[in-house]
Amino acid sequence: MKPLNLIALLLFLGGAVWALTRSDRAVRGIQAAYYQSISPFLKTGSRLETHARAFLMETRHSKELETELAAAREQLGRLQLIETRFRDLEEENQQLRQALDFKQNSRFDVLAARVIRRNPTTWWQTLEIDAGSKRGIGTQLAVLTNEGLVGKIDRVDNNGERSSVLLLIDEKCQVSARVEGSPEVGILNGRRGGFDGDPLLRLRFLSANAAVRPGQRVLTTGRGGIFQPDILLGTIHSVEKGALDSEALVRPSVNFANLGAVFVVLTTDS
Amino acid sequence: MIRYSLATILLLLAAFVAQQFLPALTGLHHSRILLVQLVFLCCAVTVGQTTMLALAFIGGFLWDAQCALGPHGGDPDVYTQQVENLRFGYSILLFGGMGVLMQGIQPLFKQGKWHFSALLSGIAVLLYLAAEYTIINFVRGGIVINRATLLQMLSTAILTMLFSPLVFWLLFRTAALFHHSINPEAGRRRRRLA
Repeated sequence: MKPLNLIALLLFLGGAVWALTRSDRAVRGIQAAYYQSISPFLKTGSRLETHARAFLMETRHSKELETELAAAREQLGRLQLIETRFRDLEEENQQLRQALDFKQNSRFDVLAARVIRRNPTTWWQTLEIDAGSKRGIGTQLAVLTNEGLVGKIDRVDNNGERSSVLLLIDEKCQVSARVEGSPEVGILNGRRGGFDGDPLLRLRFLSANAAVRPGQRVLTTGRGGIFQPDILLGTIHSVEKGALDSEALVRPSVNFANLGAVFVVLTTDS
Repeated sequence: MIRYSLATILLLLAAFVAQQFLPALTGLHHSRILLVQLVFLCCAVTVGQTTMLALAFIGGFLWDAQCALGPHGGDPDVYTQQVENLRFGYSILLFGGMGVLMQGIQPLFKQGKWHFSALLSGIAVLLYLAAEYTIINFVRGGIVINRATLLQMLSTAILTMLFSPLVFWLLFRTAALFHHSINPEAGRRRRRLA
């Protein structure tokens, strides 16, 4: 081997070891710098994409109508979400009243954002939205649609205009969940490599004799510090009983293939 | 030579920007064109070992910066079995491995048989994806292999390979621009025949 090649190989290995030993915080810093450096291209690309889409749509709608329609859709989704939440709160309120234990209702403030990019990476189930820290978004905030939980904020770009959402169907997105109408609680997350067709989620750590039936709703417990309670996650698809615990497959309530706008939960006061 | 090497680095950086606008094809088993890997593989066969290693480091480092997920967050008492992240930097070694594989058939490429390199780029992408998925399985535990994943890897490799002639054409044009020959033996043979 030539001396120059040997030096290059040693430098390469040294660099790889240096990269492999970076802390989570340092990696976040590197990632932030990377996205900041390519943000001008992303902005331009995003603008071009929007223009192209608007141009194609112009034959059917005028721009004003399109804006109004988008706003109306966002508003409709927002209202549906509030309505669902309101019903849950009403039910909760009723239960609490019955138990003569009065507590303040929780405040649920959401921010609408548009999905601008889906699945930018090979293995992780993520998407990007057009809202960032400038609009009050930080990491680990819950993301919803009127159908239920979408995921959580994983990364906020340095320029504060974009965020990355880790979807519920990703293996890494874990949610503390309960089965409605039963005492069963467990941890829900996506399945590895289960992206094709109809994605199903895994609800693990249920009791060995879990009395859970297909069709029962699965909701968040509110434990764990990320997701608010009683957000719809999906419905039980099937149950596999084991010797020590049971596992259920859950069909998500959100259609992940058709996400246009989402809502980020900004504040909740329990 | 140096100008061409610098041009390949710039080309790789441009591929990172272009990759941002290449979505996954949901209708084709969530496959995608891995432009960054493709540009790296095609460049790797046209440059020396030193430049290839530099490209592998840049490519792997930036790819991980683009794809790394954040820490889990939440209460560790509730989420007791957290899903592990892949170590930042693992792609550097995978890119290096792919580069070494491509350099193995450099003699054929220098003879003008770029078709073999195009074919090998598809195989290298498939191996890269398989290695990446194996690492995920190893780190997170439990070997999960299903039809959807295999089809995703296969269609991604084929789709990426189909674009390799375009990248090779671009590399030939770039080399010509800097008066550098990336397949000197083929050039000599052409001159002899002429």
